[in-house]
Amino acid sequence: MAAARARHAQRNRTLLMYSTATILVVLGGTYAAVPLYRAFCAATGFGGTPKTAMGQFEPERLHPVTGARRIKVTFNSATSDALPWKFTPQQKHVWVLPGETSLAFYTAKNTSNEDLIGIATYNVLPDRVAPYFAKVECFCFEEQKLLAGEEVDMPLFFFIDKDILDDPNARNVTDVVLSYTFFKARRNKHGQLEPDAPKDVVDASMGWSEYEHAKSTEESSESKSS
Amino acid sequence: MSFGRPGSSSILQVNPPDRGSFPLDHDGECKEMMKVYLKCLKEHGSASTPCRGVSKAYLDCRMQRGLMQRESWTNLGLGEETNEKTSGQPS
Repeated sequence: MAAARARHAQRNRTLLMYSTATILVVLGGTYAAVPLYRAFCAATGFGGTPKTAMGQFEPERLHPVTGARRIKVTFNSATSDALPWKFTPQQKHVWVLPGETSLAFYTAKNTSNEDLIGIATYNVLPDRVAPYFAKVECFCFEEQKLLAGEEVDMPLFFFIDKDILDDPNARNVTDVVLSYTFFKARRNKHGQLEPDAPKDVVDASMGWSEYEHAKSTEESSESKSS
Repeated sequence: MSFGRPGSSSILQVNPPDRGSFPLDHDGECKEMMKVYLKCLKEHGSASTPCRGVSKAYLDCRMQRGLMQRESWTNLGLGEETNEKTSGQPS
């Protein structure tokens, strides 16, 4: 009788250990999910985030795959209403081969009579092409100051990684759309320049409009203190 | 840091291009070369391959005038192209 009770006690203890361990692992997993998801998005280009570089491109990647089917890259442009700039692509589209570095141009004209600083954001459609769309050099994300009335050409040097041909999801894509949106720049409280537009507008310009967003901690702490 | 937001903490840190940003060509020094390139694209049905020589010439123009960091052509994927300067290009 006592032996059976001891066995039960032992089994119960083991069960308790396993349950506790499972609960702890799952709890830890939910906490880890946020930074892991962010790292996943940045690394894989999920949701149309162009994967521009892990540092440098090896020269071997930059050879056109001559037998492959050409991909049509169409250029789109948009400006925020707060920015009186005329911003247009200089070519409607370009047919490129995977692995082939190509040049494209946009032109921006400051139609107001004051010097303005703009900042551009960027998105690639369809989403599944984004991990392969690589910009070597462009005019985005850093401030661009145009003097009053100035018109300037903005080049963009990019390529579509030839690994796209190995991806069964993305290899049949023939139409890619590149969208640039120019915003007026303002200084945020860390002194950095950022787009002068509501957060959802900026997110939409980068292709995040389909996703729900949690309030940022900065916003929620501001609303608590005000 | 924002909670649950896709991307990183600051919008602008998300994905910088590899070599950064082209400095603005305020004086239009390479504008002629750009026009040559756009004309080439029109002539070849917007195909990028036949115009790579011209794009090399454009980037060379930028490098010569300090509008782009000097870079070896193989690093830019233009190692095999000849530097095509067609007529109408100002020296």
